[in-house]
Amino acid sequence: MGTHKPFFLWRHLNKLRWLSLSIVFAMLVALPFIHVYQTYAAAHAYDLLAPSEKQLYDVMETLTAAFADDPAEDLDAIKGNTWSGSFFGLQLSDPLAVAGQMAAGLKAYAPFLLTALIPVLFTLVLGRFFCGWICPATFLYELNTNVSTWLARLGFKVGNRRFDRRLKYAVLGVGLALSAATGSVLMAAIYPPAIVGRELYYAIALGGFGAGAVFFVGTLLFDTLVARRGFCRYLCPGGALYALLGRYRLVRIRRIVESCNDCARCNAVCEFGLDPLRDHFGQECNNCAACIAVCPTQAMTFVLRPTDYPEQGPGHLGKQYRRNHPESAAKGGH
Amino acid sequence: MQRRTFLDALLSAAAATALSPLLAEARPEARQPARAIRYLRPPGARPEEEFLAHCIHCGQCGEVCPNRCIQYFGFENGPRSLDTPYIVPREQACILCMKCGEVCPTDAIQPVARELAPILKQVRMGRARVDERLCLSYQGKTCGVCYRACPLQDVAIRVGRLEQPQVLKDCVGCGLCERSCIQIPQAIRIIPDYG
Repeated sequence: MGTHKPFFLWRHLNKLRWLSLSIVFAMLVALPFIHVYQTYAAAHAYDLLAPSEKQLYDVMETLTAAFADDPAEDLDAIKGNTWSGSFFGLQLSDPLAVAGQMAAGLKAYAPFLLTALIPVLFTLVLGRFFCGWICPATFLYELNTNVSTWLARLGFKVGNRRFDRRLKYAVLGVGLALSAATGSVLMAAIYPPAIVGRELYYAIALGGFGAGAVFFVGTLLFDTLVARRGFCRYLCPGGALYALLGRYRLVRIRRIVESCNDCARCNAVCEFGLDPLRDHFGQECNNCAACIAVCPTQAMTFVLRPTDYPEQGPGHLGKQYRRNHPESAAKGGH
Repeated sequence: MQRRTFLDALLSAAAATALSPLLAEARPEARQPARAIRYLRPPGARPEEEFLAHCIHCGQCGEVCPNRCIQYFGFENGPRSLDTPYIVPREQACILCMKCGEVCPTDAIQPVARELAPILKQVRMGRARVDERLCLSYQGKTCGVCYRACPLQDVAIRVGRLEQPQVLKDCVGCGLCERSCIQIPQAIRIIPDYG
């Protein structure tokens, strides 16, 4: 029958994903510090700095000396955040930023449009990968999920309500409509990754959180008290846009029905509340690979195809399948 | 059924209240909003309405500013200005380094070369105005600090007898004069130009 095993690395992708999320978040913390250091360097007034500022200067100088001769200029190479940033001359923007700006300006602005090209192309192939692999808010939301799990173990009541996933497409639509009506990119105020990047900068470089932090804490509370990963699942306008773009993504997760034993751990671990056990991934899946990592029988793998497998029925190693197919149980022993 | 009607009414009332400040400011080309606060947009910024339609609130202009003069609005200038950049020259003025226009991904702040002619042509943050009743030089106490702080001396500002400052029409409104004025309150202020 040839039940093929998934490539062994797929099981470790989830760790790589955490590494990626951590690096992005660490960068968002580091960039404001680099900026502050740059301003000190540009002012040429080391002697006038307060002791704590001198400390920051010295630390940052040690960390960056290898990369920059002239910190005030050379460290400009990486600026911004995941909402929009420049990376060694390459400007990249979130597709939602472009959509929001187009709505607010009621016309397309070509040079800015191009900055979303690479993210869009990646999304067409990889689906909502941004949500699982890059989004700095995901980093905090997933940690928040873990905290909620501990809280639940300690006996606190955490929310696990379900809403209609299509709600977020309405949020996207209303957000774009409001941006168009007001002539200002209001989307930036309710999109968690944009908020996280900005608020980290405010907190570190400008000395305090802004209004967005309040909103973000609200979403964390929503996730804990009302619905697990509720904002990403049901409300995030960016997630909605990425899901639409990634509807026919080529890289998908697929269940190998021959190896599946119906343990349902994949469903339990899925942050987006999808149903990998019954082959329902759809446009929502962000290829985070958590289900691959958690599967005890290695029944999850990646495939290249533009649509999900049709429902494959119960796993062949599960009780239900064996009951219906007694011959396979007699033959097996496995 | 009755409770449902009540809830519907409550929800729509709540939505109307929450959205009214947004709707009130909708598409205001026609009307000049009364501004409660005086602020400057970064150098090279488009006229206010165009600026708001372009700015995606990414914060890169502030992150690249070597003088840390760019701050970001909370709700104090209305919800449309939330997280958009501004400068209060008395707190920290613009040094016309023009880095913010270079980094702005949407050209809300347009790139301007750091040379005299392009700056004079494209930068319209505002224009300085001297309050002669407050200015020391006009009170007979020779000062001239604003003139010495100006990066465009004799183009944007010149001094006459007793260092009395006169703002010329080419002033771009960077605000270094206002920042440096030794009077309290300052005798020279930038009158913003929102386009």
